[in-house]
Amino acid sequence: MPSEPETVVDVRGLTRRFGAFVAVNDVSFSVTRGEIFGYLGANGAGKSTTIRMLCGLLAPTDGRATVAGADIAREPGRVKRSIGYMSQKFSLYADLTVAENLDFYASAYALSGRLRAARMDEALELAGLADRRDALTRELPGGLRQRLALASALLHRPPVLFLDEPTAGVDPLARRAFWRVIRELARGGTTLFVTTHHLDEAELCHRVGMMVDGRLVALDTPAGLKATHVPGTMLSVGTGAGGEAGTRAVMAALAGMPGVHGWQPFGLRVHVRVDPELAGPGRLAARLAERGVATADVEATEAGLEDVFLALVRR
Amino acid sequence: MSAPVLARFSGAVRRTRAIALKEFRHMARDPQVVLLALAMPLVLILVFGYGVSFDVERVPLVVVDRDRTAESRALARAFTAAGTFDLVAVSDDEAAVEPLFRGGHAKVALVIPPDFQRAQGRGDTATAQLLVDGTDNATATIALGYAETIGLTLTQRDLPRGFDVPLRAEVRTLFNPALRSAVFIVPGLIVLVLVIVSVMLTALTVAREYERGSMEQLFATPVGRVELILGKLMPYFVLGLMQVLLVLVVGVYLFEVPLRGSVALIFVSASVFLLAELAFGLVISIVTRSQMVAAQVAAISTFLPALILSDFLFPIDNMPPPLRVVSSLLPPRYLVHALRAIMLRGNGVESVLPDLAAMGAFFIVMMVIATRKFRRTVA
Ligand SMILES: Nc1ncnc2c1ncn2[C@@H]1O[C@H](COP(=O)(O)OP(=O)(O)O)[C@@H](O)[C@H]1O
Ligand SMILES: [Mg+2]
Repeated sequence: MPSEPETVVDVRGLTRRFGAFVAVNDVSFSVTRGEIFGYLGANGAGKSTTIRMLCGLLAPTDGRATVAGADIAREPGRVKRSIGYMSQKFSLYADLTVAENLDFYASAYALSGRLRAARMDEALELAGLADRRDALTRELPGGLRQRLALASALLHRPPVLFLDEPTAGVDPLARRAFWRVIRELARGGTTLFVTTHHLDEAELCHRVGMMVDGRLVALDTPAGLKATHVPGTMLSVGTGAGGEAGTRAVMAALAGMPGVHGWQPFGLRVHVRVDPELAGPGRLAARLAERGVATADVEATEAGLEDVFLALVRR
Repeated sequence: MSAPVLARFSGAVRRTRAIALKEFRHMARDPQVVLLALAMPLVLILVFGYGVSFDVERVPLVVVDRDRTAESRALARAFTAAGTFDLVAVSDDEAAVEPLFRGGHAKVALVIPPDFQRAQGRGDTATAQLLVDGTDNATATIALGYAETIGLTLTQRDLPRGFDVPLRAEVRTLFNPALRSAVFIVPGLIVLVLVIVSVMLTALTVAREYERGSMEQLFATPVGRVELILGKLMPYFVLGLMQVLLVLVVGVYLFEVPLRGSVALIFVSASVFLLAELAFGLVISIVTRSQMVAAQVAAISTFLPALILSDFLFPIDNMPPPLRVVSSLLPPRYLVHALRAIMLRGNGVESVLPDLAAMGAFFIVMMVIATRKFRRTVA
């Protein structure tokens, strides 16, 4: 059977106002089964508000959406039975133990009997907490706590999972472990909607939507976003021992140079987007030399989603 | 067709139980709260029980006897014989009373009118007037209680068609007047204790979930509003009933408070009251969403009425009409009334039905508000 990708989340013209303020403005997209959909944006862009509407927690002002076939405005009860949700602020009850937290969520989803016992064991396994069931949750490090929160959101095996900044405040190593689990879930057919402001995490998503001030300004695969929004070739210019002054000199020299689309400092280097004719070996270095900046340290690099994001915000 | 209904119901029960269990566990992690909940009734009953009964031992009394007959002297004797009142002055002029009150020399005045004996001889109701210094409310209230008892006993003994008051009660009280105050305060104390601890804790519990963000997480699960509300009420309901038991046991064994009516009926009344006040605590919590604000609102709107408007310390009859209206809109006075009726008079269900109905109505109104507010404020 030719597999037509199955739409699990379908959003049409979704809008939410708080008084005169429009937090989410006419947003449309759809997410297919097994997809990791990244939702990227600065603080206050409207990410959490979108998720709350999709979880049936907040009524939309306008527009409509279905999650796992249920209309979020008319059947929030059905939505809640088919989703898992990790909210941005909350990660479990700190004064309860690991097992008590899982126990509570298992009952909240009315799991019983053998299925319940099996799911709880699997959750402990997934969180890597099988030997710490009786530890108080407040004593766990942030990374483990988030994995326990994820495991509890998965107890009822929801087809759709909404994660609102699940790795905020988690160290890089634990973040990587967390994302391994996310990708594993997606391979198993779970649909994931993840908000983040870590751009390296967005690179791990199948598709990324970019939110700016309540609007979905771009939506594509990470590679597609880069090709569309930061065209040209990315070069990285080093200034040797020049330090910050050297970096400033390079940027001053780039101003008004034909064939240069844009630049931004990147540590002590400068990332420059150029036309293909400037991308050849030695070309940019020669132009810089004409303007009094001597450097031989120019190498090709890749545009990141950060470049996309900055390009979109500036526009 | 009934299978899905049954499944849905058992799911609801499971979820309600889950919330209750979680709440019990929060309690267990914070044992000071439970300890406080059980220690407070003990402390309060000891303070009120001993404190009040000693204070009221020697209320300074002035007798204004304008009748000067055997009957009027018998009435005056009845007042002084009980040991509660300390006769500090005798006069035949009512004008003597006010200076004595103002100087703090007397707190109660018994004024016997000139035709006291004649009225009694005719078989009319003989009336004597009791003036009480209202500035010392606690003493005044209790003094009134004593005076009423003495007066009624006299009536009962002398007039064949006296009031409908069980004689046994009065005789006992006369023999040991100190007990009367413990008898008098236990019902009010039960109300006070339930309100202080249980309502305060309930008011905090939902606000806490809002504050730490777990409410949003809860609303994303299939746990329904009613399940959440009932589950949250349950542990505090149990705690409240334990407090009632504690106050009753201490009252009965330490202060020999009579338990004339049915214990089951006492618990039924206390349960209805608890549900009403707990639901009120929840409404406060849902509306304020902040533990600090909730605690303050709970203190003002539940603790004060329980103390002031319940007929516990201050008689409702003496209140200005607006306060009387407020008092009739809140549950405390109904439980005080019901408990006095059951414990002290041994009355049955019939006589407390209006109280139960009033508290039940309050519960239903609060539940409706709680559920409504919950719906509107999701996330
Ligand atoms: N309940 C609310 N009432 C008023 N304004 C709100 C409410 N929730 C969110 N907002 C506003 O909507 C905007 C988007 O918020 P949010 O969706 O939380 O952003 P993000 O998750 O992207 O950081 C913010 O400016 C926020 O202040
Ligand atoms: Mg957010």
